[in-house]
Amino acid sequence: MISDRMAAVLRLLQPEDGSDAIADVATAGARALDVDGLAVSLVTGGDRAELMWCSDATTRRFEDVQFTLGEGPGPDAIRSGVMVWAPDLARVHPARWPVLAMEAPDLEARAVFCFPMGIGAIRVGVLTAVRRTPGPLTAQQADDAAILASALTARCLGSDDPRAGAPTAADLPWALQHAVVHQATGMLSVQLALPLPQALLRLRAHAYSSGRPITDIAQDVVERRLRLNHDGHGNGKPPTAVDKE
Amino acid sequence: MTREARVTEIFVEVADSLTDDFDLMDFLQQLSVRCMELLNVAACGILLADAHGSLHTIAASDEHTRLLELFAAQNDQGPCVECYKSGEPRTNINLTDPHTTARWPQFATRAAETGFVATNALPLRLRGRVIGAVGLFQTDPDPLGQADIILAQALADVATIAILQQRTLDTSQVERAQLQNALTSRIVLEQAKGILAERWNLSVDDAFAAFRTYARAHQLQMAQLAREITDGTFDTGAIPHAAGTTPSR
Repeated sequence: MISDRMAAVLRLLQPEDGSDAIADVATAGARALDVDGLAVSLVTGGDRAELMWCSDATTRRFEDVQFTLGEGPGPDAIRSGVMVWAPDLARVHPARWPVLAMEAPDLEARAVFCFPMGIGAIRVGVLTAVRRTPGPLTAQQADDAAILASALTARCLGSDDPRAGAPTAADLPWALQHAVVHQATGMLSVQLALPLPQALLRLRAHAYSSGRPITDIAQDVVERRLRLNHDGHGNGKPPTAVDKE
Repeated sequence: MTREARVTEIFVEVADSLTDDFDLMDFLQQLSVRCMELLNVAACGILLADAHGSLHTIAASDEHTRLLELFAAQNDQGPCVECYKSGEPRTNINLTDPHTTARWPQFATRAAETGFVATNALPLRLRGRVIGAVGLFQTDPDPLGQADIILAQALADVATIAILQQRTLDTSQVERAQLQNALTSRIVLEQAKGILAERWNLSVDDAFAAFRTYARAHQLQMAQLAREITDGTFDTGAIPHAAGTTPSR
């Protein structure tokens, strides 16, 4: 379960005045997890990723090195979709990340914890927590970090498309517990010839513009009562539905 | 086959789960079918908790979307949630008693729509921790006996063993990663079902049936095959399937 400190951090992700609070989230999130730094890198293709934001120089340096080399806990987390921890970089077997192992002694980072951001086959990026001293995360810190990663995933999938409209992605974690939403995402990706992340955005956009819950829209898609048209240019119009019957 | 023989068979399957190419998704699905048969209940689902403490369906005795949705209604309310939070079994719950069901209005409505009149929930236990729950649904009101409940808990423990099969010194991280992997694989499977259903113009349930038959026949792990389908690296034309009922566009 989430700690009070992390709950306060997540509230920063939903600023009421619409200001960008990401810098605050990075700093407050690092404090809540008792680490020295936090970074978010987003997938740009394959298992490559680009640094989106970062709280401090130690973390930035580590992210730069591992994504330049293409090996380390971050690339592994993106590839596998599973969290990857290195609680003591000095004691990682050199065969695991051979090139990184040569650089590691020059880095200030000693403990690195990577939490993948994504929904099933949709890979968004990775949240990385860095400490300058070795040692594991506590169970509470691990839960908090995983929760922060899923909140950031929802934010990334919610804010890229202005047609999604909603200022935050508060509905998303809830909706994602429904198998039907993932099934509809897969169906739409074929209907619209879009990658899964964009298909999910279209589903959310349609739910938002029609004022109905995303699970209802997903149900209609799966039962073929609703098809979404291909509307290739994001011209601000909500996608239109064609009833097959 | 006698009940004892079937139980023995399940434990042999668990021993197989320690091999490398073990298909967790397929095993858990078959385990829920076995639970249903052995305990003579109408449906069984295996739910895992995420970091938020909400429950997600990882496998169910049948993959019909309606049943999956009933389990999904238990992500924050219902007997499985109570069982997960307390770590204690919740057995022989009468779903036709308004006093009992008043605690979980959404869940109770869904369960009634599906025709279930009684339910049971057993914890997935791991040393002092609870990682999820097994839910059992009945269409008849006969209570499960003590022997049934002991067997149900044993089957729940089997599911836990299978999910957390690998053991290393750093158990906390490995266990967390395995739980996360199971949850992620389940979502990939749903996304792949949707892709196949649309491509083949079949219902999601029929598309899944063809997918599973193919995975089993070729000894492919369902989670891996689903991932290759969602990544576009697998030619889905290779999977035999029924013709769609309406013409494709």
